[in-house]
Amino acid sequence: MSHKEHIKEDIEVDYLARAEGETAIRVELKDEPAIELKIFEPPRFFEGFMVGRKYDEVGDIVSRICGICPVSHMTTAILAIEKAMDIKVSEQTKILRNIMSISQNVASHLVHLYMLAMPDYYGYAGVLQMLPAFKTEMERLVRLKEVMNQLTGLIGGRALHPVTSMPGGYTTVPGKTLFDSMLTKLKEIRDEARRVVKDIASLKVPDFHSDSEYVALYDNEEYAINGGRIVSTAGLDISVDDYKNSFQESQVNYAMAKQSVIKGRGPFMVGALARLHIKFDKLQDETKRLAEDVEFRLPNNNPFYNNLAQALEVFDGVQRCVQLIESHSFKNEKRNVEINAGEGGAVTEAPRGLLYHWYRINRKGIVEEANIVTPTSHNFLNIEKDLKKLVKENMNEKRDDIKLLCEELVRAYDPCFSCSVH
Amino acid sequence: MEKQKPKIGIFKYSCCAGCQFQLIYFQKQILETFNAVDITYCKMLQSGGVEEGPFDIALIEGAITEDWQATQLEKVRGVSRFLIPIGSCAVCGGIPAIKNTAQELDIEKRVYENTSLIHSVRTHPVDDYVKVDGYIKGCPMGERDLTELVISLLLDRRPNFLEYCVCVECKLKGNICVLVAHDEPCMGPVTSAGCGALCPSHNRACYSCWGPMKDANARALADEFERRHLSREEIFRKFTEFGQPTDEFKPGQLKL
Repeated sequence: MSHKEHIKEDIEVDYLARAEGETAIRVELKDEPAIELKIFEPPRFFEGFMVGRKYDEVGDIVSRICGICPVSHMTTAILAIEKAMDIKVSEQTKILRNIMSISQNVASHLVHLYMLAMPDYYGYAGVLQMLPAFKTEMERLVRLKEVMNQLTGLIGGRALHPVTSMPGGYTTVPGKTLFDSMLTKLKEIRDEARRVVKDIASLKVPDFHSDSEYVALYDNEEYAINGGRIVSTAGLDISVDDYKNSFQESQVNYAMAKQSVIKGRGPFMVGALARLHIKFDKLQDETKRLAEDVEFRLPNNNPFYNNLAQALEVFDGVQRCVQLIESHSFKNEKRNVEINAGEGGAVTEAPRGLLYHWYRINRKGIVEEANIVTPTSHNFLNIEKDLKKLVKENMNEKRDDIKLLCEELVRAYDPCFSCSVH
Repeated sequence: MEKQKPKIGIFKYSCCAGCQFQLIYFQKQILETFNAVDITYCKMLQSGGVEEGPFDIALIEGAITEDWQATQLEKVRGVSRFLIPIGSCAVCGGIPAIKNTAQELDIEKRVYENTSLIHSVRTHPVDDYVKVDGYIKGCPMGERDLTELVISLLLDRRPNFLEYCVCVECKLKGNICVLVAHDEPCMGPVTSAGCGALCPSHNRACYSCWGPMKDANARALADEFERRHLSREEIFRKFTEFGQPTDEFKPGQLKL
């Protein structure tokens, strides 16, 4: 039977709910479906107004790009500025930055999994409507997220738009007793974190497959988050300094966010599922066993599995924070910053994938040029590519079902439209 | 019959969505205070919703930088008993208003090759367009004032928002003054309280993320900065990071 007998109106989602920021989705239902992810989030022009601002304001300013991954923007900008100005930091600073990034990523994953994604799978409008029937799960979310936010806040002063993180290091470092009581809490939530993997593994995932090039940071020593090389499943293996030679961003006429491609190749995917493809070997042994328990195997070309990948990172992240805190004693340090002219870029793993910041700083410490490429810009074309395949394969389904599938797919990528436009 | 729960609508304009996340960050409120209200429109939290209202409280997040936002904002005002901007972007322009310090097109051209697709205007706080019934300040917005707002609505009483500067919180905490003792260019004297003097308590100068305090004496602080050998450019940056469009900070934005 040809789908021509099912002539349907095109699909328009005019404002995608349960996603960070503002986008519409347009699908033209025809043999070759035409897809537009119309990100209408208003531009705020961070790269434009950052010119003329001083190097030590940049972290505070860019954290305001995103309310869910402020630590990622702040840390990436600071790393880029340190590169540009040739500022060295201590081993302790690197560890504290790792703990902050991991705790933020875990909290972000939790919000996405339980509040943004899960309602789809049980047919609810949102988390408030789910509350009565899913009290245990929601209490788990609240408990876990509370502890992870407290950990970010302990180091950063506050979880959202932290204040202690500066080029050269931290303005203050919490004392041992504070870290000790945090350790107790982290150990208490480990079992809950394990259950997150079970919660997400029990969601019924659409049977959909779409090959992608997965890109993530890789480091020989650890599950890379704030450093390492940029590596892909199709053979890319470059230093962060070569980012500009391999990635290209361009403006489109239907969205305020730009689209990124790997030069000469095309779309690619970043985020939790991409990270697991690149560095599964660097996960904790217990996380690997948990993956085995829920029959998560790689390679896995179903983008809906990004949710389960995030859940595995939740458990892994809690474990790693415990180890990082246990294996160090933290103390206040002096920051040494000398103003030098220069340019430099940095790449980190934000919750949603690779985040790039680049700055040129003059000899007075003033920003002369800035460039920011976010995870959702990196994923933009891949989301559209997957949407097209998904629609094509489900052309005979009811229009409303196709529409919901499209929404679920976009949400599985955990896009952040505020970030993507910035 | 059970009393109907107050209806709350949450609207997002140009911002990081952090204030909506802050709602989620207030863990206890999700399960307790917020069970006493009905969130009838909040795109980030739930699909569907009643965009047309009516609302007992409309919470507005983000600055106004595009035409459609102003149009919608006026509609929301018409169907809301109380309309409250939440967070610095909505209250005083916040970070997105830094762009107001340069020519709009110059800023846009640094970001987009084709600026004909861009429809941005200068950054405005919400009260430039509609009457508001109070402000929940902060970047991100503060828990104390938000809770105060919701409780006041439930008890039908006038909310008692914080109306003093960061210095008061510093003194209450017994902090050593970072401006006087450490020569750090602290914006505390002109910045709204509510953060608990977060930055001075963490060994750095306040950078004004809660926006201008009512009746702030910005000129006096700018003069003090000058006496402490800050350049005009540096002082200008201090008074334009948060609150560029506000009357309170204008006297501090010394001519370059």
